[in-house]
Amino acid sequence: MRSELTSSLHDACTIKLNNFEGPFDLLFYLIEKNQIDIYDIPIFEITDQYMEYLFAMQEMDLEIASEFLVMASTLLHIKSRLLLPSRKEEEQEETDPREELIMKLVEYKKVKEFADILREREKIWDKVYYKLPEALPESAFEVILDVSPPLLKECYQRCMQNYYDRQNDVTQKMNRILRQEKVSLKLKIKELLAKLKRGVRLCFSQIYNLKNMSRIEVATGFLAALEIAKLGKATIHQKVEFGEIYIEPKIKRKG
Amino acid sequence: MDDLREIESTLEAVLFAAGDSVSLEKLSEIIGQDKKTTASILSGMEMKYKNSNRGIMLRQLGSKYQLCTKPEYEEYIAYLGTGRKKQGLSQAAYEVLAIIAYHQPVTRAHVEHIRGVNSDNVISTLLEKNLICEMGRQDGPGRPKLYGTTEEFLRVFGFSSINDLPQLGMNEIQVVMNDVPVD
Repeated sequence: MRSELTSSLHDACTIKLNNFEGPFDLLFYLIEKNQIDIYDIPIFEITDQYMEYLFAMQEMDLEIASEFLVMASTLLHIKSRLLLPSRKEEEQEETDPREELIMKLVEYKKVKEFADILREREKIWDKVYYKLPEALPESAFEVILDVSPPLLKECYQRCMQNYYDRQNDVTQKMNRILRQEKVSLKLKIKELLAKLKRGVRLCFSQIYNLKNMSRIEVATGFLAALEIAKLGKATIHQKVEFGEIYIEPKIKRKG
Repeated sequence: MDDLREIESTLEAVLFAAGDSVSLEKLSEIIGQDKKTTASILSGMEMKYKNSNRGIMLRQLGSKYQLCTKPEYEEYIAYLGTGRKKQGLSQAAYEVLAIIAYHQPVTRAHVEHIRGVNSDNVISTLLEKNLICEMGRQDGPGRPKLYGTTEEFLRVFGFSSINDLPQLGMNEIQVVMNDVPVD
């Protein structure tokens, strides 16, 4: 008998507890049940009742959503602040610790009220019927173009001109790039020979490197060095693989 | 087309043929009047439908207009056996809708802040039912999505525009807050 009673009680409670949408919903339920003025919540009682619910939930092995725990800590925090005596000077500036909670509850109350309004309105407006959209023939919305042959020709010409302009534009850009990038081997050889004239051994990496030159320039410089070696005006040494390249001028010996 | 009756008949015919809602822009284009004139003609028609013995009425949905039956004839229409039974929304869905309707455009985080509960699933249900839609993104960290209500929302809940929502006394809080006794 007793176990039967507990189980039916258990069922009743379970359903009720599951029905709360969130901590505000539970708080709201408590406020309405106790017929409390929302703007003057007796925080001690409400906190106790709220905690009772959480403990009940715990006992029934219901998973308590973290939001409920956050609210519990908020309530306990407010309760503790109300318990602590505040200094007289501060008293005037100090706001009611319940203020934030009340603001949120009022906001939530409005939401709940409007939710109810929506539910009622839906009932009325659900009785309204609409006609399915008609599949209207496309021609009804067709725009008739008023185009004469000369206009068509003009449009075509303008279109083609735009096309050519774009083409030319690109070519010009390409030419400019090519002009900038153009490095002549002849020039590089001359440049290198001038440097060798002084009769000093040159380090390739000091003359041509990627730090302040383009890749093409360095590559052409390398070709120039090879060309000079081929002409017999210099010798090239490299002691280690990937190591420094030395260019040594061949000094014409007298006699 | 200058005769008001002629214009009203034309609008009626067009709206009936369309079935779906038609924008004010399109309607004014069809009757060759500016939007303001068209809007006032339409609101006149709305009143006429309402106050005369007609089975249909005209509804404004934002900047669109649509013809529909009057709710009081639902029981007779039911004899046709259209048998549509929509699945109702959950309490949570009404709450989220209420928040979005009043605060739009609003982020999911703000909705959750007001409700105090995660509202992910509810929002996706409402999106599915076309009662809310995405309205761009908020500037700021993470650029969260913003939500607002749709034309379908107006249709389902019988509003003619968002401005038509009942006022819920936003200033009331401030006034009452000043009266909160400090103990």
